[in-house]
Amino acid sequence: MNELLALFLKYALVNNFILVMFLGLCPFFGVSKRLSDAIRMGLSVTFVMVASAIITWLIANFILIPFNIEFMENVVFILVIASFVQLLEMIIRKTSIGLYRTLGIYLPLITTNCAVLGIAEINYTNGFSFLGSIASSLGGGVGFILALVIMSGLRERLEISDVPESLKGLPIAFITASLLSLSFLTFGGLRI
Amino acid sequence: MPFKDFSKGLVKANPLFVLVLGLCPALAVSTSIENAFGMGLAVIFVLVLSNLIISLLRNMIPKDVRIPCFIVIIATLVTIINITFKAYLPSLTESLGVYLPLITVNCIILGRAEAFASKNPPLRSVLDGVGEGIGFLLAMLLISFIRELLGSGGLNFTILGYKLGEFTIPVFSSMPALFFIMPTGAFLIIGLLLGLFKKTGVLR
Amino acid sequence: MKENVKRVVVLTIIILVSSLSLYAYYTSTEDLIREQETAKLTEEINQIFPDAGRFVQKEDIYYVYSDDGDLIGYAFKATGKGYGGDISILVGVNNDEDLTIRKISVLSQSETPGLGTRITEDEFISQFNNKPIDAIKLRSNNGEIDAITGATISSNAVVNAVYTEYKNKIKSIQR
Repeated sequence: MNELLALFLKYALVNNFILVMFLGLCPFFGVSKRLSDAIRMGLSVTFVMVASAIITWLIANFILIPFNIEFMENVVFILVIASFVQLLEMIIRKTSIGLYRTLGIYLPLITTNCAVLGIAEINYTNGFSFLGSIASSLGGGVGFILALVIMSGLRERLEISDVPESLKGLPIAFITASLLSLSFLTFGGLRI
Repeated sequence: MPFKDFSKGLVKANPLFVLVLGLCPALAVSTSIENAFGMGLAVIFVLVLSNLIISLLRNMIPKDVRIPCFIVIIATLVTIINITFKAYLPSLTESLGVYLPLITVNCIILGRAEAFASKNPPLRSVLDGVGEGIGFLLAMLLISFIRELLGSGGLNFTILGYKLGEFTIPVFSSMPALFFIMPTGAFLIIGLLLGLFKKTGVLR
Repeated sequence: MKENVKRVVVLTIIILVSSLSLYAYYTSTEDLIREQETAKLTEEINQIFPDAGRFVQKEDIYYVYSDDGDLIGYAFKATGKGYGGDISILVGVNNDEDLTIRKISVLSQSETPGLGTRITEDEFISQFNNKPIDAIKLRSNNGEIDAITGATISSNAVVNAVYTEYKNKIKSIQR
């Protein structure tokens, strides 16, 4: 149990997916302007991350490794993630319009989100167990939401503050992210 | 003008500084010139070949399955570069870590495939790939130059395992500004560079 | 209907071509990758035992022989929990009466640059050279190893990893 908690905290705080490992930056700078969008986007990314961690773990341990075709890992993982996301989008659109409006619109963006393939690759190269993979992907997702939410709050304020002309927009967002990342570095001292 | 396809990627449509694509490797492996060069070359290889293959197949691939097809082609090329690096440059593979397989989801590559190669003939697509690739490499080198110089107090020109030279700033190198090789420094440098380019207008 | 068939056929062909070419390329480089891995291990062991001729692996312990075929020592890997993640260490043990530590080397680590990363520097590492295992504790713990100022966690991780793994492995070495 401690192992799992340690993995969860490692990817949520110490190795925060966005601020320390730089995975999933496009939505971080693109979507994170409004708090409600940030939460929805974060939830759908977390869901896809956990689901693909489970699927890729099963594929790696029951197909790739037994049949000795580990070199196909990259191709298989991305293909599985892409088809899973597509399937999910179709199901959500058919079953619930409300859910589709809240989460579905972000789904096409998620296939090429580094965080999703990233967690699959991390679980695979570190050889995490089944539960370990779930813990790490859940941690990664929570860390993703955390960074996205903090950033959206900051950017809402930045809109109305007096920023030098040439730093307006993306440059100041990067500098803000830099300071945020500095504060996440202190989690490195967690004894886990 | 095919030359324009090549030259626009260098400055006017620079993938990193103008289109702001491919951020994840740009921040993560720009800690040293050696890593930045390795990542830049890997991206050029994948980008040029994926542009070529996709452009050659552009009339054969049905429109609604084009994205899965592109992804498989790109992932195959990434695996090839991954195996090559493992076989010839094991230490570079280790320092690039998870970011090497993640080239598959680098927005630059899928972006060029979708926006350019799937609509243009092979020669122009290759030129576009070379231009965007070199633009990415140059941007990576600029970021890593600043980060390594300030963060490790010197520069180590090692390219694909061959050491070309070394340079350390006396006194400063024993107590460098480590801040810059940490994730924090990566965000700061890119933010300041973007601001500087906006102010001087060189990228317009 | 015809469109649907075409979609499936094109995607299948692309995946087939992709897997076949990857298979061909992978099998042709497989030996080279394995060679690189052995070369790396040999180099790491040679750093600890410059006079090593060859080594044999048995249950995670490398038995190192000189050119003349004499057993000169043992080597094994140890892992410690540092500040920034796992620290992987190669430990060399002399084949003498007390089985003293020959030398250690840090294979990989992700400590804070400039502070924790100093565990890889000679100033810290050389403290382990030719010491009996009972001295491998921090000075604050009645040992003979000085921790790096500002990086006690990293220093302690190395010391603990070496000590614990030594105690684990020593039984099979003595046998």
